[in-house]
Amino acid sequence: MFLQEKRGEPHVHVGAVHAPDPEMAFILAKEQFVRRGRCVSLWVVPAEAIYASRAEDAEELFSSALEKEYREPRGFRVAERVRRWMERHGESLPDA
Amino acid sequence: MGNPSQMPEPLREAVGSLLLAMADDEVLLGHRDSEWVGHAPILEADIAIASIAQDEIGHAILWYSLLQELGWPDPDRMAYFRDPPEFRNATLVELPRGDWAFTAVRQFLFDFAEKVRLEALMASAWAPLAEAAAKVRREETYHLMHSRAWIARLGDATEESHRRMQAALDLAWPHALGLFEPAPGEALRVAEGIQPPEVELRARWEAEVRPILEAASLVIPEAEPIYGGRTGRHTEHLASLLADFQMVARSGLGETW
Amino acid sequence: MFTYRIHGQTVPVPEQAPPPQEGPEYADRLAEFEARIARGEKIEPTDWMPEEYRRQLIRMISQHAHSEIVGMLPEGQWIPHAPTLRRKLILIAKVQDEGGHGQLLYRAAETLGVTREEMIEAFLAGKAKYSVVFNYPALTWADVAAIGLLIDGAAVVNQLMLAQGSYGPYARAMKRICYEESFHIKQGYDAFVALATGTPAQRQMIQEAVNRWWYPALMLFGPPDRDSVHTPTLLRWRIKTKTNDELRQEFVDQYAPMVLRLGLTIPDPNLRYDPEAGHWRFSEPDWEEFWRVIKGNGPCNAERMAARRRAHEEGRWVREALAAKAARGTNGGGNGRYAMASV
Repeated sequence: MFLQEKRGEPHVHVGAVHAPDPEMAFILAKEQFVRRGRCVSLWVVPAEAIYASRAEDAEELFSSALEKEYREPRGFRVAERVRRWMERHGESLPDA
Repeated sequence: MGNPSQMPEPLREAVGSLLLAMADDEVLLGHRDSEWVGHAPILEADIAIASIAQDEIGHAILWYSLLQELGWPDPDRMAYFRDPPEFRNATLVELPRGDWAFTAVRQFLFDFAEKVRLEALMASAWAPLAEAAAKVRREETYHLMHSRAWIARLGDATEESHRRMQAALDLAWPHALGLFEPAPGEALRVAEGIQPPEVELRARWEAEVRPILEAASLVIPEAEPIYGGRTGRHTEHLASLLADFQMVARSGLGETW
Repeated sequence: MFTYRIHGQTVPVPEQAPPPQEGPEYADRLAEFEARIARGEKIEPTDWMPEEYRRQLIRMISQHAHSEIVGMLPEGQWIPHAPTLRRKLILIAKVQDEGGHGQLLYRAAETLGVTREEMIEAFLAGKAKYSVVFNYPALTWADVAAIGLLIDGAAVVNQLMLAQGSYGPYARAMKRICYEESFHIKQGYDAFVALATGTPAQRQMIQEAVNRWWYPALMLFGPPDRDSVHTPTLLRWRIKTKTNDELRQEFVDQYAPMVLRLGLTIPDPNLRYDPEAGHWRFSEPDWEEFWRVIKGNGPCNAERMAARRRAHEEGRWVREALAAKAARGTNGGGNGRYAMASV
């Protein structure tokens, strides 16, 4: 079951129910997962349709061992270079 | 044997020639893979091959950096300011991009070769190499999933996919055997516990790739290895690859970019 | 013509604005829909929406997606020539993100009932537009830097606005895209500054690239408000929250100083700061050229379309093979290490 709490937010996995088909799953899940709390949309997906990684593989698969800072906005320190260059060349902005 | 300055000269040369072979393999394969960016058969596959290209170049930087510790020039100098005969890559990685079948087959053969090499080097007597190998090996897990999945899907899906995959394998296989051409100084490296002999690595590699290829209905060709790359004898494709690769860096228009 | 599926039925998406829907029930629904937007709420795929809202979103999101995909080409051709290993990695990562953005956008459009295949077929047949700017050539390495700063800069100004839009899936895609775009601008500015503070030859390269890309960057926001046929509707339904001209002004205010403070020039004799208004005054691009390029007669239209068609044709056997294999149900679980989820 995937539940959207608020319009504009993504659907988030909240749990699973035992049911013979999607319609029954929906009917049963509604009271299991939305008997209190907010919900504006509920999705039913059969569990066997989900192909998942295993917890013990997470380290190898998802956390890079090598430096990938070049892909991050914080990987660049350009403002300082511009400031030094402007000082050296007495550059300023016209009328600003 | 952690401090490179304490490494005796013949061994420093021998370790350097292994690192050079590994770095040159990775940087050129990364370059070839990156030629797909914007042109792959499926948008999602385009995105995945772009990551693999980045990973290979990242590995190359790691191996070039170890070389730098041993006294070689910095990674950019190594990649951008050497001519074809100075490169020590196996010819497999310099062959043109080809179709998606060739890319899948080459990447598969290379990834498993890298896997067996890294697993062996994790036990290397030179600690910096063993540590770096362990790091890279972790990143290789995804590559192995990726390239095995393509082989399994394209090998026997349709008549055309089978024909293309078999042609790709026929072309790539003898060049892939060249990945195990011993780089100069092998005897010394083996004696000092830096690496096991290449012939052993090749046997481990074949044991891994043969069943996967056969399960995908592909026939492994009977072919002699194409050697030469590890001593600087290349195909004509390397010169044009490097002309592309190095043109801006060598334009003389600037020192830093 | 696109079709979409809703409640199990296939419905064509009209190429022209649909005839006004009428009746008391329609008026009530429309009032509710517009009230929801006025409250700042998002519209979700299963909500009722006017056909014109659906049509405008499909048009805009699919154009946006095509632009990302074509946008991979001018910079992508410099990946092989990137002058350092770090620049090579950065450029691959950047062009990769554009593909990633295209992927997210095609998916956002799919929630409105069209399929990616339909959108791509329409695009390859020349029936769908994409941003004019990618029909200009990237002649030197400096163009990569100029595109990264000016074109991505313009794109971010536009996309930050779109992230505030009323359609949930589009706005959500935009949030992630804007984060990644901030990397694009940083890398563009970094490469730009490296050239601008480099040798005289490098400064000349970047100046020439600025001269080539300044007006295309201004064109990225689309035609002037006086000629933009879509803007009033788009604003009313918060598909857009600012007009093309407002966004163009925002861009010039932000980016002109970044170029000028490096001692470079912008090819506009009328460019000056107006201290009273607190804005930069600038010349509009040549709109006749804009319409010419939109209609397919820009310097690189034919080349860009040919590259996309070639990739599509050369990849056909791969897509067919994957479909054939999947239809036989023999894909299995890879190496068997990845069990089905136990959720």
